[in-house]
Amino acid sequence: MSEVLLQQLKKHAENANGKFTVLRKGEVAVEIDQGKIKGFISNLVNDLRVSHLSTMTGLDLGQNIGIIYHFSRDKDMIDLKTFVPKTQPTAVSIVDIIPGAILYEMEIHDMFGANFEGNPWMDRKLLLPDTWPADLPPPLLKSSKPAEIRKRLHLEVESK
Amino acid sequence: MSAEPIQPKQREESAGLMKYSAENLVPFGPIHPALKEPEYFKLILEGERIVQVIPRIGYVHRGLEKAAETRPWVQNMYMFERTCGICSFVHSLAYGQAVEGLTIYEVPRRAKFIRLIIAEMERIHSHLLWVGLMGHWAGFETLFMWVWRDREVVLDLVEAISGNRIHKSMNAFVGVRRDMPEGMEDRIVERMKFLVDRARYYKEIIDTEETMLERTEKVGKLSQDTAEKLCVVGPMARYVGLQKDVRLNDPYAAYDEVPFDIIIRNEADVHALLQLRLDELVASANMISYAVQHLPDGPIRVKIPPIIPAGEHSTHCEAPRGEIFYYVKSGGGRTPERVKVRTPTLANLPAALEILKGQTIADVPIVLTAIDPCFGCMDRMSFLDTETNRQWTWSGEELRQYGINHYFPERAKK
Repeated sequence: MSEVLLQQLKKHAENANGKFTVLRKGEVAVEIDQGKIKGFISNLVNDLRVSHLSTMTGLDLGQNIGIIYHFSRDKDMIDLKTFVPKTQPTAVSIVDIIPGAILYEMEIHDMFGANFEGNPWMDRKLLLPDTWPADLPPPLLKSSKPAEIRKRLHLEVESK
Repeated sequence: MSAEPIQPKQREESAGLMKYSAENLVPFGPIHPALKEPEYFKLILEGERIVQVIPRIGYVHRGLEKAAETRPWVQNMYMFERTCGICSFVHSLAYGQAVEGLTIYEVPRRAKFIRLIIAEMERIHSHLLWVGLMGHWAGFETLFMWVWRDREVVLDLVEAISGNRIHKSMNAFVGVRRDMPEGMEDRIVERMKFLVDRARYYKEIIDTEETMLERTEKVGKLSQDTAEKLCVVGPMARYVGLQKDVRLNDPYAAYDEVPFDIIIRNEADVHALLQLRLDELVASANMISYAVQHLPDGPIRVKIPPIIPAGEHSTHCEAPRGEIFYYVKSGGGRTPERVKVRTPTLANLPAALEILKGQTIADVPIVLTAIDPCFGCMDRMSFLDTETNRQWTWSGEELRQYGINHYFPERAKK
């Protein structure tokens, strides 16, 4: 990663009270508060010209749902980390800055139950069946058990 | 209800004469899981033109990410290889590289070259498959037959090296499982030469043959600005002039040692995509020839313990369809804590929806195939005209015929 980009990222992370870590050569992580994520990303896109969002990852962190935005520019990968509490899983959507994030946000919504405020398709399902029971925990949370899902969705295969 | 034949010309004229006040909703898919992947698109039409597209995927979601959390590291490699039935190798490569990044071991140089050879053979077979499908959907069956025959050439080579045609199971952690067979070098170089000749011939065909030109030129336009905002990857980025290729931008395997051409076009239509993929095929064939002639000696694999140290790592590779992304998090145990997979089709889907806007129904098969999606849901299509409440259903074949008739009325089956 070029020294210039590294310093600029560090500066932006400090301005947003974020924690900056170099994971390995070419990959850095920035941990940042949910409220400051939008400002940071718009700086990233407009000032630093890091515009390619590879994907967004959801994580089960126990009390919280972790969200990682994976940005990349050439050799450099920037993992932007944030989290929302499971009790109130409302995150802010970035589709107005990066329209390509729309399906990734829907995916996390389906798989972890996080809501993205501002995403126009939050009321739709992308991956889960329409018949997914509302009281069943989202499938990628650690509390969700595959056997329970099979039972509730009537996916059990009868053994002969 | 059987399909009522619609004369394309009449339809177009009526669309021009009277403005459709009601929006027509056309459900597109999701049918036939036996084909590649079923997906569902809700097309909202104004007359013949598409104004909005709403996607619905997940019909073949098998919960691989959840399954990975309960399986040992090594078993996951072969499970992730089965994510895709076309670009299988690159999945295990990306997962393998993500896990290798958490360990201290270095992949042997010979293994890196073998990985490159298999990955490029996979690209050739995937691109040929796609060119054939484009021929089929455009109504040029001869191209489909020829291209798929030539695809066997590369599949035979893959089988000779790995023992399998599609799911190669070649990767292992920190290396590959099988060495290149003795004395394959000349055969590979000769077969690659054959493929390069064929690719040049196909390029000549698509540049001169009226069928292909009419169906593909100026169809599927995408602006560079929109493409960048929608984070497109792979050939879909390169056909609008963006230099997005992981092999070049962030070399993995032996891509930093083997010279190759990166193909970038600016026309941004389906015709440019066809030319781009055929040119890439030639570039891949040249890379393979170079790699087998410069294959270094040495070990092909390092054995590692089954427990992977704690940490997280993200990697990307260039699959035939574009950037493929893996994120792996380890808690230091025998199974991963989280594995995230992002396939190129998901990244390119928003762009496909954008391209479809403004196209006609006749262009839907061409445009949807153009992004080279991993699906084959065009088996059945049902229409609902909200104005007259008339409903009818078309099979994939009827839709294909409709597309051909729309462009070439003189060829319409009597």
